[in-house]
Amino acid sequence: MKNLFDLLLAILVAVGVGFGLSYYALGRGVIVGARQVGPWITWPSAGTPTPDPYTRAYLARTPELALNVAEGIAFVAHADSAGEPFSGNCTYRLDGTTPQAAFWTLYAINEDGAIITPAGRATHLLSTQLVREEDNSAIVRVSSHLAPGNWLEIAPADTFSLVLTLYDAAEFAGLGKTDTVMPAITREACQ
Amino acid sequence: MIRTFLFVLGGIVLGLIIHLVVVLGLPLASEETNWTRISALDALDKPRILDVPSGFSPNPFRLDPTFISAVCRLSLVSGPGVVSGLLPDTFWSVAVFDSSNRAVYGTTNRSGLGQSLQLGVFNPSQTRLLAQRELEITEGLLIVESALDDIYVVVRLAMPLPELADRYRAALSGLTCTNAPMRTTEVPLTPPGGITENGAPIPYDRPNR
Repeated sequence: MKNLFDLLLAILVAVGVGFGLSYYALGRGVIVGARQVGPWITWPSAGTPTPDPYTRAYLARTPELALNVAEGIAFVAHADSAGEPFSGNCTYRLDGTTPQAAFWTLYAINEDGAIITPAGRATHLLSTQLVREEDNSAIVRVSSHLAPGNWLEIAPADTFSLVLTLYDAAEFAGLGKTDTVMPAITREACQ
Repeated sequence: MIRTFLFVLGGIVLGLIIHLVVVLGLPLASEETNWTRISALDALDKPRILDVPSGFSPNPFRLDPTFISAVCRLSLVSGPGVVSGLLPDTFWSVAVFDSSNRAVYGTTNRSGLGQSLQLGVFNPSQTRLLAQRELEITEGLLIVESALDDIYVVVRLAMPLPELADRYRAALSGLTCTNAPMRTTEVPLTPPGGITENGAPIPYDRPNR
């Protein structure tokens, strides 16, 4: 009886560790292959000729027409800088700098990858069309309610993710840079 | 107690093995990939414009709504693939992927291409013929080598204003996506001195001029 219990325990641990770790590593977790900069996660070798096995597995389960590394690189945030998952009832403020790129785009998606913008409204923000401060920085607000300045309007949703894509981002050509800085995401008011 | 601990330890080791099998096996076991999705589109030898995602519309390829994209599929078996055309004066990029969804090549108009896209994709044997100058190609063609014969090419056009969509869609529709004819340079089959009965070349003394 004791042997059977130990064996069942070992099998439970094996299944839990094996599939749990895989789900985490290929989902929102960052173990191998993915890279996290603040709240932003990217898979830098997704657009290279030799992606690592974790990136290959991630691409196999994600229907994403990945950018070639020469085209650009996409970062996804599922939570704010404090680690709290996004809520459609809150306003989020993005400020800070992005790595050097020709330009960047920002949009919000739901779990199915659909853009969560109300019908007839702008689906995205483009870095070249932002209102900027005197020091050339730009503050962006993401909210389902009217927000001042650069506003990415989203439809009310339980949760969402933000996608920030840098185009022609020379910084990532070598993929080895470690001091990359991405905008911080701060939760402001919630309804 | 130690026995239970050893079983748990064994479970963790087995779990790590399961994890590695899942990670390595997922790309092989996946039935629906970008290649299968693009193969299902009517995009063989012609550009197929992908829907620009809008509010809550399906976004099967997780596309950036800032861009209008076209994809075309090519088989290099019948000749090098050529994608060419004139694109609007906006940021655009082109990427080549093979049927295993690996990135083969990518570039943008900012690398000096301007508005003209002239991309040639060759398999290794075609590249060898090209290196031996036994394959004729159009001058100015950007040469890319793909290890696999089945490829797809994605062209993305940045759309700063939604009003430009129709114009950009027309530009992408006008892209040529086809196989170049295999025009090989004539190479004499027999050496200039002729061959012996058993096929060996006869030494040829070039006449003095």
